[in-house]
Amino acid sequence: MSTATMERTLEDSLLLRLRVEELLFTEADLLDSWKLESWLALFTEDAHYYVPPSDVDGDTATPDTALFYIMDDPVRMRERVVRLSKIGAHSEHPRSKVRHLVTNVRVERDGDIIRSRSSFIVSRAKDITHDLFVGHYLHEIVDQGGELKIRKKTCVLDMEALRPHARISIIL
Amino acid sequence: MALTTGIINDKERAQFLVPRRAFTDRSIFEKEYEAIFNKCWLYLGHASELAEPGTFLTRTVARRPILFTRDKEGEYHALLNACPHRGALVCRERHGKGRAFMCMYHGWTFGSDGHLMTLPGSSGYPKGFKTDPQKQMAHVPRVERFGDFFFINFSRDGEDLATYLADAGDTLKLLGEHSPSGMQIVGGTQEYSIRGNWKLLAENSFDGYHAACNHSTYLEYLGNTKGALGADPLKGEAVDLKNGHAMVEYTAPWGRPIANWVPIWGEEGKKEIDAVYAELQSRVGPERAERIAKKSRNMVIFPNLVINDVMAITVRTFFPTAPDYMEIIAWALAPVEESEWRRKFRLYNFTEFLGPGGFATPDDVEAIEKCQQGYAVGGDAQYNDISKGMARDGAPSFDDEAQMRAYWVEWDRRLSEYEA
Repeated sequence: MSTATMERTLEDSLLLRLRVEELLFTEADLLDSWKLESWLALFTEDAHYYVPPSDVDGDTATPDTALFYIMDDPVRMRERVVRLSKIGAHSEHPRSKVRHLVTNVRVERDGDIIRSRSSFIVSRAKDITHDLFVGHYLHEIVDQGGELKIRKKTCVLDMEALRPHARISIIL
Repeated sequence: MALTTGIINDKERAQFLVPRRAFTDRSIFEKEYEAIFNKCWLYLGHASELAEPGTFLTRTVARRPILFTRDKEGEYHALLNACPHRGALVCRERHGKGRAFMCMYHGWTFGSDGHLMTLPGSSGYPKGFKTDPQKQMAHVPRVERFGDFFFINFSRDGEDLATYLADAGDTLKLLGEHSPSGMQIVGGTQEYSIRGNWKLLAENSFDGYHAACNHSTYLEYLGNTKGALGADPLKGEAVDLKNGHAMVEYTAPWGRPIANWVPIWGEEGKKEIDAVYAELQSRVGPERAERIAKKSRNMVIFPNLVINDVMAITVRTFFPTAPDYMEIIAWALAPVEESEWRRKFRLYNFTEFLGPGGFATPDDVEAIEKCQQGYAVGGDAQYNDISKGMARDGAPSFDDEAQMRAYWVEWDRRLSEYEA
């Protein structure tokens, strides 16, 4: 490979990573500020949102055969946002203070899909509780006419159990 | 009348009051371990979790680390997971295959039945040391099986499991009858905690009264989802299953994979659900089949096993580590032969309501934690009210509190007996 080609390849992958990071950071920002409708708009219409449990291989497990914490299809993703907008969602009323840290972003192309792997710490503070969720995100992203949209988001918890958390009432 | 624990059970005035120190007092918490967790039959696991001979799993039951094994002959063993030498945990893996367990500290190695197979430097010990009963891994004093459900008891004495389960046994049998080929724990475990007293979760698990308020957003979600609801009304009764066990049994509008069809499952789904129902009828008879297919059940087996046979089946057990903190572990139970789409719908149903990420459980958690926080007010606010339905003629409704009173009366009996 010539130096010029290598540089172009490097430039392409850097640009792609920057575009994906921009998307992930926007997503984190929207979740931190509870702009959940806008968060939903970052996803394709056939998107899924998953949180596997800690005792399966979260990178490969499927919610059709293993019990997950969250297996949202597009309908349930929307309903999750609708629910969290109500005062009847007692677990998040008043709302928690939330902070998503996203880091170590790696990106690769897989045909038409862009696969991103990143690390996260999500902090949730509400009255007497302050919990940290630690893990890694697997985002499946597609380029829709120059705009990147998330088609699947899997939040793999690098934790032994959800203790002392008790709930994933926020969006990770 | 006032009971030893301070519970007021006044039938004439239709009043049942539980003192709030039952949830906060450290000495009551310690007595609970002596009088309840060290005396009652406690859920250990399901046979399907050790489907093959030579497999094992580790699990904490009421604070004690347990090694649950199946030896090469297929026999099950419940061992206290500590090395007889210096007490280190012998098995540190969650589950796996293996017939020998080596303690990582000095290398003492034990078989699936806990016997000491080898120890390094055995010349330093007298003859007969290796076969000394004190040098073997200790068995849990009693382990018994009811259907595919394994229970353990840390006390050598007391009633056998079937007697202990009383009428709850029939509901466990009913679960086994869901399938002609047996039931299994689906892979994937929900493990979480709640910062509240453990008995609050027992109450909450079969509380038919809180749904309309606490779970309003879940009920609205079902209403928003076209075809998710059938025509059956939420209606039924509370049943005392004796020995502190109780359940609510009721019809409900949600779909049940065994076997209550809802429109969202489509015409193809209807054919399959109809076939499941027909098989059920021919196997267990029309009356029992209708009960299995059309009724939901939330059952609490005293003290800490919940089996909710609702839009999916959850098996859930929990134990306290402090008056205001409990650890919970929950599984999904399903027929072995279940088709791919029914299994998928079952898990979809499960996660919709149940568990830390569901549309309902987080609000139960909030309620339990807020109760615990509220108890700090002290002063004159000393009692919880559990009286609903006491003045009613006839069978208690599913949204009354008779099932909780049955639980509390047993709790009181166990603690009073211990104090006497």
